[in-house]
Amino acid sequence: MTKAHLNKLDNESLSALLDGEQHLADAKIAEQDVSTFGRYALIGDAMRAQKNNHDIHIDISERVALALESEPVYADFTQSKGQSQVADKKEQNNVVSFNWRKPVAQLAIAASVAMFAIVGVSTLPQSDPQQNEIPLLQTTPLTGMASPVSYSSAPALENAEQGLRDLQQQRIGALVLEHQRQARVANSLQTAQNETKAQEEKN
Amino acid sequence: MKVITFVLSLVLSFTAVANDTNPAKTLLLEMANAVHNRNFDASFVVVKGKSMEPYRWVHAKQGETELEHLSLLNGAGLEMIRVNDQVTYFEPQSEPYSLKTDSIAGPIPEVLFKDIQQLSEHYDFVLGGKGRIAGRAAQLVRIESKDEHKYNYWIWLDMESALLLKAAYVNHQGEALEQLQLTHISVTEQPAPMLLEVLNRNFPTPLPENELEGVDSSSTNWEISWLPAGFELLKSDRHKLDLNNELTDYYLYSDGFVEISVFIQRPLPGKRLSGALTSGATTVYVHNGGNFDVSVVGNVPSLTAKAIAESVTRAL
Repeated sequence: MTKAHLNKLDNESLSALLDGEQHLADAKIAEQDVSTFGRYALIGDAMRAQKNNHDIHIDISERVALALESEPVYADFTQSKGQSQVADKKEQNNVVSFNWRKPVAQLAIAASVAMFAIVGVSTLPQSDPQQNEIPLLQTTPLTGMASPVSYSSAPALENAEQGLRDLQQQRIGALVLEHQRQARVANSLQTAQNETKAQEEKN
Repeated sequence: MKVITFVLSLVLSFTAVANDTNPAKTLLLEMANAVHNRNFDASFVVVKGKSMEPYRWVHAKQGETELEHLSLLNGAGLEMIRVNDQVTYFEPQSEPYSLKTDSIAGPIPEVLFKDIQQLSEHYDFVLGGKGRIAGRAAQLVRIESKDEHKYNYWIWLDMESALLLKAAYVNHQGEALEQLQLTHISVTEQPAPMLLEVLNRNFPTPLPENELEGVDSSSTNWEISWLPAGFELLKSDRHKLDLNNELTDYYLYSDGFVEISVFIQRPLPGKRLSGALTSGATTVYVHNGGNFDVSVVGNVPSLTAKAIAESVTRAL
């Protein structure tokens, strides 16, 4: 028997296993190549999905992340060459070259904004009677969520609403960030204020 | 021998601050002292509802020089480095900058590293039970707000070193809203070499103080008629927000423990709803004031934020 033939036979049993025609045995799975396993599972999913009208789960996040990593960084053409050289020099003088800071710049901001992403206002009665008077704006969790298919007959209106919501969301993100930054100076301001107060009391 | 000197130093530090009779206060002062004088390397997580932020916190005392490094480990991160009374913030998307201040504004309220005596007017200090946190014997100290307009803050301290092991913002129903928990700490005799390396670096010069403070003319535009007792205006101005370039009238208040920001802005188009958003202990209350929008941000209950936002009127 040639090696190719052997492989084919193996795969047949794997396919049968995934279709539930064979009993699950850890040893059996361990024998199989992981990528083959994933591919077969996907084929099975696709076939069953057609039958039951269900979603197929394809995880491309890993591949997207990989692609993003290898994506080249394009030069910033908004600045003239001379200017950028000056800027470079300045940075060198500054010595603060924590280069581990730079690459993933927008991520943190995006995360802090997403934390407060609004999806609507809930007016549902809450269990706590004290809180009852306050409508809580609903937030979406940080992790991504599949958006449901819209059955709306007026997509234009919905788009406009979405736009407004984005505006509000953007603003709230900006406010939270600004609060964090301003809070940093609070302590030194307060110390200064206390000092002047103490001085006034002395006089 | 080491143990004996350690116990001795503990006893000595006890007597040094023991003139205040409140044991909870004494413990907190001891913690502030320990945080400033020990070499340690710690990791902690901050849990806000469903989200979680891991941090690393390293502190060193080399002669008279204090070095501290706090970094957020998830996402693009955030690095804060303190050399004595200068703190430099490294943020994604903006240039690093320094401030003249003797503590890092991180997830732990800064006042805890200083003299908490100044909070006595509006907070009570209560000794709680003992327990085991991060594998060590811990003593709970509760900082309780004297009114219901602010959250309580609970702190668990290591009974041996007086270092902080756990902390939480707790509402008046006794529910923890935002928790900070140490997952690991090592206290060493020698400062971490990684931190000493910071001494060889230059940091941006601190922003001049007069640029930061000051109550400018825009403060007369609005009247904020209600704030919880103890809050004082630290700063007010009109500036543009970094992220969306929107103009805002800005007010910063503090009671020494928490800060509250009040933003007054041009109204957004469309149907604007008033409501609260929360993430951990942080509340954002958005209020539709008719021809202006008021937003209040801070670590206060949403009812407090709502009351502040609704008390804003145009000054005549």
